[in-house]
Amino acid sequence: MVSEPPLTGSSRRYIPGRSPALAVDRITQVFEKNGEPLVALRDVSLEVRQGEFLTLVGPSGCGKSTLLKIIAGLLNPTAGSVYLEGNEVTEPREEIGLMFQTSTLFPWRNVIRNISLPLEITGTMEADGDKRIADVIELVRLEGFEQHYPRELSGGMQQRVALCRLLVSEPDLMLLDEPFGSLDEFTREHLNTELARIAEHEHKTTVFVTHNIREAVFLSDRVAVMGTTPGRILDLVEVDLPRPRVPGSRRLVEYTETVNYIREVLGLF
Amino acid sequence: MDTDMSGADTLGMESLSGSRPDSRFRGFWTQILLTGSVVIGIFLIWELLSSWEVITGSRLSFWPEIVLSKPSEIIPAFFEAISTGFVLWHFWVTFQETAIGFVIGAGGGFLLGTYVALVPTFRKAFYPVIILFQSTPRVALAPVFIAWFAFGIASKIALAATICFFPVLINTITGLTVIDENAGLLMRSLKATRWQTFRHLRLPSSVPTVFAGLKAALTFALIGAIVGELTATNEGAGHLIETAAFQFRSDDVFAYLLMLALIGLALFLVAAWLERKLLFWHVDLDEAT
Repeated sequence: MVSEPPLTGSSRRYIPGRSPALAVDRITQVFEKNGEPLVALRDVSLEVRQGEFLTLVGPSGCGKSTLLKIIAGLLNPTAGSVYLEGNEVTEPREEIGLMFQTSTLFPWRNVIRNISLPLEITGTMEADGDKRIADVIELVRLEGFEQHYPRELSGGMQQRVALCRLLVSEPDLMLLDEPFGSLDEFTREHLNTELARIAEHEHKTTVFVTHNIREAVFLSDRVAVMGTTPGRILDLVEVDLPRPRVPGSRRLVEYTETVNYIREVLGLF
Repeated sequence: MDTDMSGADTLGMESLSGSRPDSRFRGFWTQILLTGSVVIGIFLIWELLSSWEVITGSRLSFWPEIVLSKPSEIIPAFFEAISTGFVLWHFWVTFQETAIGFVIGAGGGFLLGTYVALVPTFRKAFYPVIILFQSTPRVALAPVFIAWFAFGIASKIALAATICFFPVLINTITGLTVIDENAGLLMRSLKATRWQTFRHLRLPSSVPTVFAGLKAALTFALIGAIVGELTATNEGAGHLIETAAFQFRSDDVFAYLLMLALIGLALFLVAAWLERKLLFWHVDLDEAT
């Protein structure tokens, strides 16, 4: 359990003025749908700073998941480029880690062997694999569940395992696509708190996708608010909430004001 | 503000416990009891209807004895059959045809299925042909195989192998091709090689589908062997049944059929046991069996 420090002072984790860790440069993505061109993203540009937690929030169909796939190098955009540390991303990269809405755990592997999968694939299991796995299990608080199989775990626990699997490969950039989207509200809030704690511990550049505005504000340094037809960024909102983020952060005026501001941008008032 | 944290730590931590072992055990005996009652019930009604004439003294009989024996005659015939050397030898022939046919057919189906699933061009070229063969009733090939491989054991093995080849082939292709989309993306994002994706994702996730094909193939192999024997032979269970039926030995016919049913059941139980061992992780397993 995290002890709660006083909610005073703002400690940004990124250093302003430094070159961005991730640059999304005028991305346009056009799909074919029933023979008609469908513009999923138009001219989307974005810079994510080193160690920053940035969230893409918007209604379904705003292309936020598509943008995440493009950043991951899993989808080549119709136009535009993505740069990680100045290098163009054209295919999946080892420095980029992914997490999905479904835990995507392999049901025939137990918890510990699910977490070790990335290390087995990259052939780095021998070096210090066991120690890294033990570390992430401790960080994500999965001790005692190592030998369980996915079918024996609740949805929230499965996502914890998926988070471990993401963290164990020590990616420079973490991409999370609605990881808590299929969980109930209580589990989601709890895992938000956990993710905030882990993110502050790991200092990793993170792009998080959600349609939950409160979740976006609670976790992020900045929120990119996206709109539909065509998918585009409506506004970039700085979240002026002190770190570390704890459950009590949700009581602060800044939290409510930011949530309300984003709702306004999305036309929800 | 600490109210949010206290107790919340257990949220998302609960693990779902499976059914308790003793309740599963009790379920097994309930199952035995229920199924046993049904089987005994059917035999009793059968016996009653067969002996209607004797019991009621009326002249009405439902069927002549040479067409359908009654259980009280079939069961002794069954015990005599399983203690008679030449009967067992004929069944041993059938068992060999089934087993060898199954290994060749299912093994071939799995290997070709793997190849077709992993090479996209191959898949496009072969799939329509496979469907065409699949929709041909393959027992109709029995006379063809007799002509090719003569009357011996080889023609029955060929028929058994051909029949169980297709369900395994098709299920292997499906099992290896249809994978969870996100799992595929995960492997791509990890830069897994084709072999790694096959070894760690495609192959394990295909096991439930492949197993369903294998279970069907097991029964099909037995059907293939019997049909082959019925078509032309002088050995095997099919030959025994045909001869007995020809000589109106109805009690023996049904005793042999009972033996075949038990062989089929034994094969199925072995497959089911293996499935439990291999597919302990599969979520649908409890509902399926």
